[in-house]
Amino acid sequence: MKNYHSIIILFVAICNAPFAAELPDGDEIALRINARDEGEAVSRLLTMEMTDSRGKQRIRETKGFRKYYSDEKRTVIFYLAPKNIKDTAFLTYDYPEADKDDDQWLYLPAMRKVRRISASDRGDYFLGTDFTYEDIKLETRISIDDYQRKTIGESEVDGFHCLLLESVPVNDDIAAELGYSKVEQCVDDTIWMVRQSKMWDMQGRPLKTIHSKDIRQVQDIWTQHELEVSNHKTGHHTRFTFSEVRYNEGVNDRLFTQNALKRGL
Amino acid sequence: MKTKATSLSHRFFTTITGIPKTIITLGLLIIFGTAAFIPKLTIDARSESFLPDDNPALLYRDQVEQTFGLKDPMVIAVVNKGEQGVFNPQSLQLIQWLTDEVMKMPEINRDRVVSLATEDNITGNSEGMVIEPFFETPPITQKDADKVRAAVMDFPLYQGSLVARDGSATLIVTEVYDVNAAPNVYEQLLDLIARAPTNNGESLHVAGDGAVSGYLVTYINADAARLVPISVVVITLLCLLSFRTWRGTIIPAVVIFSAVAAAVGLMASVGVPVYVITTSMPILLVGVAVADSIHVLSQYYEELANHPNDSQRDLVVRTMVLMWRPVTITTLTSMVGFLGVSISSYMPPMQAFGLFSLIGLAMAGLFSLTFVPAALVMLKPIHSPAFKSNRQGLQIDFFSKIMDTIGSWVLGNTKKVLFLSVIVSVLGVMGALKLEVNESWIENFQETEAISLADKAINATLDGSNTLDIVIETPTEGDLFKPEHLHRIDALQGFLKTLPHVNGSTSIVDYIKQMNRSLNENTTSAYVIPDDADLISQYFLLYSASGDPTDFEEEIDYDYRMALVRARMDSARYQQNKVVVEATQKYLDENFNTADIKATLSGRVNVDYEWLNSLLGTQFKSVAFALILVWLLVCISLRSVYGGTLALIPVILGTLSVYAFMGVVGITLAVGTTMTAAIALGIGIDFAIHTLDRIKLLIAEQGFEPEQALRQLYPSTGRALLFSFVAVFLGFGILGLSTVPPLAKLGMLIAFSVLISFISSMTVLPALIKHLKPEFLGYQRESRHRLPADIVNE
Repeated sequence: MKNYHSIIILFVAICNAPFAAELPDGDEIALRINARDEGEAVSRLLTMEMTDSRGKQRIRETKGFRKYYSDEKRTVIFYLAPKNIKDTAFLTYDYPEADKDDDQWLYLPAMRKVRRISASDRGDYFLGTDFTYEDIKLETRISIDDYQRKTIGESEVDGFHCLLLESVPVNDDIAAELGYSKVEQCVDDTIWMVRQSKMWDMQGRPLKTIHSKDIRQVQDIWTQHELEVSNHKTGHHTRFTFSEVRYNEGVNDRLFTQNALKRGL
Repeated sequence: MKTKATSLSHRFFTTITGIPKTIITLGLLIIFGTAAFIPKLTIDARSESFLPDDNPALLYRDQVEQTFGLKDPMVIAVVNKGEQGVFNPQSLQLIQWLTDEVMKMPEINRDRVVSLATEDNITGNSEGMVIEPFFETPPITQKDADKVRAAVMDFPLYQGSLVARDGSATLIVTEVYDVNAAPNVYEQLLDLIARAPTNNGESLHVAGDGAVSGYLVTYINADAARLVPISVVVITLLCLLSFRTWRGTIIPAVVIFSAVAAAVGLMASVGVPVYVITTSMPILLVGVAVADSIHVLSQYYEELANHPNDSQRDLVVRTMVLMWRPVTITTLTSMVGFLGVSISSYMPPMQAFGLFSLIGLAMAGLFSLTFVPAALVMLKPIHSPAFKSNRQGLQIDFFSKIMDTIGSWVLGNTKKVLFLSVIVSVLGVMGALKLEVNESWIENFQETEAISLADKAINATLDGSNTLDIVIETPTEGDLFKPEHLHRIDALQGFLKTLPHVNGSTSIVDYIKQMNRSLNENTTSAYVIPDDADLISQYFLLYSASGDPTDFEEEIDYDYRMALVRARMDSARYQQNKVVVEATQKYLDENFNTADIKATLSGRVNVDYEWLNSLLGTQFKSVAFALILVWLLVCISLRSVYGGTLALIPVILGTLSVYAFMGVVGITLAVGTTMTAAIALGIGIDFAIHTLDRIKLLIAEQGFEPEQALRQLYPSTGRALLFSFVAVFLGFGILGLSTVPPLAKLGMLIAFSVLISFISSMTVLPALIKHLKPEFLGYQRESRHRLPADIVNE
């Protein structure tokens, strides 16, 4: 009996050996991703292109600013086009405390008023796109506390080698909050960026695929210039295209105020 | 000419009876060959199946459903007739429980589940718009439940659509991923409501179009599985009773199988699905197909009784020479009835029903003329105990005696008979004038079925389960932000509300008003359309900060060019739909449509209106068609226009009495019932044909005196007609037992019409002949022609 056991242990060890030796574990990958420099502040032009399942599009041109105040993140987006929503502006304060609701305001130029928007759930969709607030908030980072993760193998995206990271929410409540029952990510292990994420819904059906493209360095910071999400259930998809990305220049603290929303760019 | 035809038919049947094994083998091969396709059958129980796939209204509706991402939902209705309605802690708890449970079902799209437990309230305060759930967890106290009620009742959009205006009911709306899973999901939902914790007097129902068509498949299958065996047993017993021999039972059974196999098998082979009404085809063929073989076998046993020493082959050939003409002509006339149904309708189910029944009947006719003689010739002559010869050459059994008694009464009371028939005609014409179309898909179920009760409960508490959609189209992107267009839509919704049975409507305008109100400190006076297109477009952006990308997909298209106004009606009946559809179309033409904005009707109510609208026309077209063709056929067969016209009298009486019956009982024209008249006409004419054919034979060929010929008719042909009538009557009568109301009505009405045709053929027709003394039957020429009017006046 004892012999039998040791044979199994040996067998398992042999099988696991190549992975154990070569691939970093899930938590290590996550830590490396989150250690990557994102720049304290950034400004950029962002084109949001949303397409419904019938191929009809809404295209919005925006200028966005984001800045970290230690762990608090502030974002402001000014709409430039189309005409009927020009000068509309959206401001968010994301607080690091889990129990503190984020603050959000929207300036409606036709009303000349800033309106507060009730706090969104993390799994809510962001401004009519296929990204959730959580997706937007994390940007290129990974949430450490929400998931248990493991490395499940290697793969390739757009010709780049990557590690396959599987993350499962730590409990059902978190899963329901995020709207995902599982996430599988392809992590480029030379620059430590996620190149592709696949999400499954609460019933285990394929929900979304997020694809980061055109990743190149701006001021020595690896920057994604195109983000594409497809929602497999609704047939809706979204493409974000970033341009004129500048880190840590011209991001004035006063931009992140209700007054700045009214004043516009 | 006669002798030529007789010698030709003699040669034919001599040949047939010379190669019986070949004929029988061929016959069995045909049956197995056609039956082999039956497993390929599919079922189409959708109400849309009544319109051809390329019908413009249907195509448009599909396009609209595509544009606005509409899907037939399945709903659970929670009804609480208590003082608080569903707004009490227990009922709200129950709604939460049901919502959680349906979300666990893998077949249901969790993201699209809508109930009080999932929906957000849009309100506002001094700072801005507040979008939050009506409750996170169900309230524990009545006070909190009252708050939920107040919030829901302050949100106009859900009133009548999600929650009853008086709070007595609410829905949990679900969507299945795969429509084919609908029947299964329906069963699961029934199971769910059965084990749901209802502890405050709630009643639960499952309904929805998905559920209806899903369940209808199961329902019609169960119905057919119950009725087909009954009809086979009944008809077999009838043959046994008629002939009291095994061959007299088995041979007709083979004919029946040939008809059913040909009809259903060919239908399967060309990929035509089974529709609700075509499920009745096997049952009805059993009854109709057996009639021919009953006549042939009756004649055979009569020949055998009269000529016991003749060889079997001689007996069979003689039988067939006598019978081929009436069998052919009655088969043709029955086929004509179905042809009338098939070509006068443009609805695929009716076309299929007419066409394949017709094929089945043709096969039964073919088998009666080939397989039956071939099978008989293979057997030794055995007397039927039912047909005993006596010295006079006539065989008398119980049934013959009955017919004989009837005959003597009729021929003695011809005036009474004719007077009665005039009364029936008058009533019938009055009934026909009152005929109206009325039908709704839900009436495919008996009123006691859970699904009918569910539909009733929803229509009684909420705004209604039947939707009329109005598609608004504008030429350029973003046009629907324009306040003038929105005001126009708002006015349309106001108009819809004034129509009978329309209890409410929703459109993007309702959301815009609600958003405007929430951004103006939630004041009631701000529940209006703002007069700035930019502001409206900014509202949508604002909303998207908290909503889903597909949130307004059912109300407005993605580039704000098309919108959907959905009106809810609590009735699905044609008479009510007609008023609403026609009034709305008039409004759109006169008050809505301009060069910059255009509205078009769609939705279930409009599609149903489209196909039901053609029913009344179909009804009269099919009857007229069948009547003319039958008349032509009989004229040719009897070589007399007079004879053809005379033969129509019993069936016209049959048809008119059906109309009278429908008027009295209050049956309206619907899918099943429109086909009644044409089918009944084609079948009912058989009795008159056999009657006239026999009288002619008796007078012209066998040299009977006319008076005597009429009496002779009853015990022999009368007896055969009685049995073939009973077969047909039972065939349709069994259909009358169907749990699918349209089929039951179809069966019942045809049975009734056939009954009247049979009675008229045995009473009115001989009575008329007695008075009119028509020459085509062999009566001697008289000096003066007597008209039916004279007889009645006498």
